[in-house]
Amino acid sequence: MRAGRRCREAGADGPELTRREFLRAAGGLVVAVSLWPETSAVSAAAAGEDRAGWLRVGEDGRVTVFGPIPEVGQGLRTELAQLAAEELRVPLSSVDVILGDTERVPPDGGICAGSAISAIGPEVRRAAAEAREALAAAAAAQWRVRPEQVQLSEGRAVLISDEGTSLPIGDLARAAARMRRRGRAAVLTPPAEFRVAGRPVPSVDGRSYVTGAAKYTADIRPQGLAFAKVLRPPDLGGRLLSAQARAAASQPGVIAVVEEEDLIGVVASRPEAAERAALGIQASWQEGPPVSGFSLYQDLRASAELESELGSRGDVEAALAAARHGYSASYRTPFLAHAPIEPHAALAMPEDGRMVVHASTQRPFQHRAAVARALGLPEGRVRVVCPAVGGAFGGKDSPEVSAQAARLAQALGRPVLLAQSREEELTRNYFGPAAVIDVRCGVAPDDRIAAWDCDVFNCGSRGALAPYAFENHRVRVHACKSPLPQGPWRGMGAPASAFAREVHLDHVASQLGADPIALRLRHLDDAPRLARVVRSAAERYGWRDRRPPTGLGSGFACAVDAGSSAAVIADVEVERTSGYLRVRRVLVAQDSGLVVNPDNMRNVIEGAVVMGLGFTLREAVRYQQGRILTRSFASYAIPTFYDAPAVDIVLQSDPDRPPQGGGTAALCAIAPAVANAVFDAIGTRLRELPLSPARVRSAP
Amino acid sequence: MAESIEPIIISVNGTERRLAVERSRSLLSVLRIELGLTGTKYGCGAGQCGACTALLEGRPVRACVTPVSHADGRAVLTIEGLAEEETLHPVQEAFLEAQAFQCGYCTPGMTMEAVALIWQKPRPSELEIREAMSGHLCRCGTYARIIKAIHLAADKMQR
Ligand code: FES
Ligand code: FES
Repeated sequence: MRAGRRCREAGADGPELTRREFLRAAGGLVVAVSLWPETSAVSAAAAGEDRAGWLRVGEDGRVTVFGPIPEVGQGLRTELAQLAAEELRVPLSSVDVILGDTERVPPDGGICAGSAISAIGPEVRRAAAEAREALAAAAAAQWRVRPEQVQLSEGRAVLISDEGTSLPIGDLARAAARMRRRGRAAVLTPPAEFRVAGRPVPSVDGRSYVTGAAKYTADIRPQGLAFAKVLRPPDLGGRLLSAQARAAASQPGVIAVVEEEDLIGVVASRPEAAERAALGIQASWQEGPPVSGFSLYQDLRASAELESELGSRGDVEAALAAARHGYSASYRTPFLAHAPIEPHAALAMPEDGRMVVHASTQRPFQHRAAVARALGLPEGRVRVVCPAVGGAFGGKDSPEVSAQAARLAQALGRPVLLAQSREEELTRNYFGPAAVIDVRCGVAPDDRIAAWDCDVFNCGSRGALAPYAFENHRVRVHACKSPLPQGPWRGMGAPASAFAREVHLDHVASQLGADPIALRLRHLDDAPRLARVVRSAAERYGWRDRRPPTGLGSGFACAVDAGSSAAVIADVEVERTSGYLRVRRVLVAQDSGLVVNPDNMRNVIEGAVVMGLGFTLREAVRYQQGRILTRSFASYAIPTFYDAPAVDIVLQSDPDRPPQGGGTAALCAIAPAVANAVFDAIGTRLRELPLSPARVRSAP
Repeated sequence: MAESIEPIIISVNGTERRLAVERSRSLLSVLRIELGLTGTKYGCGAGQCGACTALLEGRPVRACVTPVSHADGRAVLTIEGLAEEETLHPVQEAFLEAQAFQCGYCTPGMTMEAVALIWQKPRPSELEIREAMSGHLCRCGTYARIIKAIHLAADKMQR
């Protein structure tokens, strides 16, 4: 993958405990329990900075949690508040959660927004437990009793033997910050005793959403705010040769036209004025390459270079040669747009020698670095704050808009908002990578899969290795020359790899006359969690006794991603003549470790199903002669109200495992489950996404 | 370009506003920029996503493609005008009850459309809900919850 950096995969069992300390700060107890690996940038940056704590107990008794990743709709704010409230025994309403403000939160360590809970959740939980013990110890010291004789309850420290003796935790915060550390880590509350965590509490942001009070980047209105539009090169790049920008400056409403070598921006008192003036600027560009999508998959293959070989086991070639049956096929998935309803936006505000940028991003620290570079400022003089973010899906990493807004704001010495239009959002951003995946599979005489050989082109290694215990197993990941800028898309390459693998397994099962679920279960010895959700999906659905009526098919697929395991069964109605598919019902059984908020987890899974149906049925970025053709919601059709199927979810909670991001495992399994259901219904095997009516009609 | 600027008078959330703005400007821009009512969102600017939905004389409009002049002499209701002080409108309550949002960005537009729908059809069927809401996009995929919220709201408003 060319654009975008990789997400650090938060380990399924959480990072190692390496450093723990209380930090003294004015007016309260700050706990910085840094669990990031000692060698990472995170602990280095966190060391000695008291603002890099995870949790603070103020003298007013309010608890503040600090997290590096913003709320993008994944429910992170509420879940962190639940964990802190649980361990500190305070009501949820006394917890504030500050997310994605580089001045106040610990650095992000490269984690993804979707699985942020798996990395940040345990940190916050442990920090809160440390704070609880320190507060109890401070109370004990004051009452001259042992710490074990004190417990925290409802925001107070209470003497167990005499409930009349108590103090609000705010009164103890200062003393707690001076407590000497014990030699051991604080004791975490066992999930079986949870009262706030593990419950379906409503989102702490909910009221602000339904009243319109939530502030997204473009909703912030500082004094003297001006609105900008920048001149955009042709879709797929190109160098500016010349521009006649001067005349734009005299257009009504225009405040200034900024001309720097690679940036021409119009700043105006109203957004329309900026847009109108920018449109009027004559510019000539040295065009980028006139790429077209016709030969995309051949081109990817032709430009491939072996990047890595994953988890090789056994001798694949020998096993393939010796196999009784061999099945090979190739699978394809197109470029995808993220298409959050809130387009990218950045609001830059110069403040004596510093720059404060509010940005719609998942990666405030990456934006801070880019803004600092663009302005020639040290990072310490740049602050990036994430207000409410209207969806990201992996698409809001790139800091270009923030850097441009900051340059314009610096040039004018006033606050500037740069907000992308829908067209810009769909044409200027990087895309989720297209992929070609070849699978060769050899089956032994006992009907076990003896060899699995997979070549993944262009979409990277995430999710490429099958969770199955194939005796001979090889996955080669090839880097390709992508015609479009590409970067992370929800789940990175995992949905594409899962599509290829799970459709191919269904194909092998049907060739062998085996039940597709039974075939998978025979190879899941190394993945007990996945095996468990596969069984529970089959059971809940009544898989063994199913008898789908004509025209209706049911398909199965499963996947592991970001520490979660999911099994999906889709019921699909196929109109043979039109090729039209209707996904009637989707069953998801999922294990995401400790479930901090079951209702939020369900919400996230339902959302993953809907988003998954988008790329299953329709979504694909189209381009021709260097121009993106899918420039609006009319041509890039994301799912609508008509697409939302009935979703049945079986949540398998595993409280002994840290919480895992729940938004991608089911997403990976949707497309193959639907494709397999189409095969079940009409015997047509589809190997290319999206499963458009034309493909359904014309497939052999 | 020289457009006549005669004041436009709109009742916005019950308050009369006199606005000296170009008549062709979008209602969305005037609400957001001139009046600071930022609850109404921009999602596409082309009438294709519903994020900018406000009520004009009780009917849902896409404010991004509605010239502000259309609202001259008429009443506009935005998400900010829905609750009475601290008391939420039943549709807002229902969205909270069903937790019918993730990132919340599409929520104001969805809410306004739902209010208009229930005014028109106090007991919409599921299909009627899908039809009425079909112009609204939620990339987070909370459609099923929104449908549930609208049923809940209809129940509440019957009472
Ligand atoms: S912003 Fe008006 S419909 Fe999308
Ligand atoms: S809740 Fe995010 S777009 Fe609907």
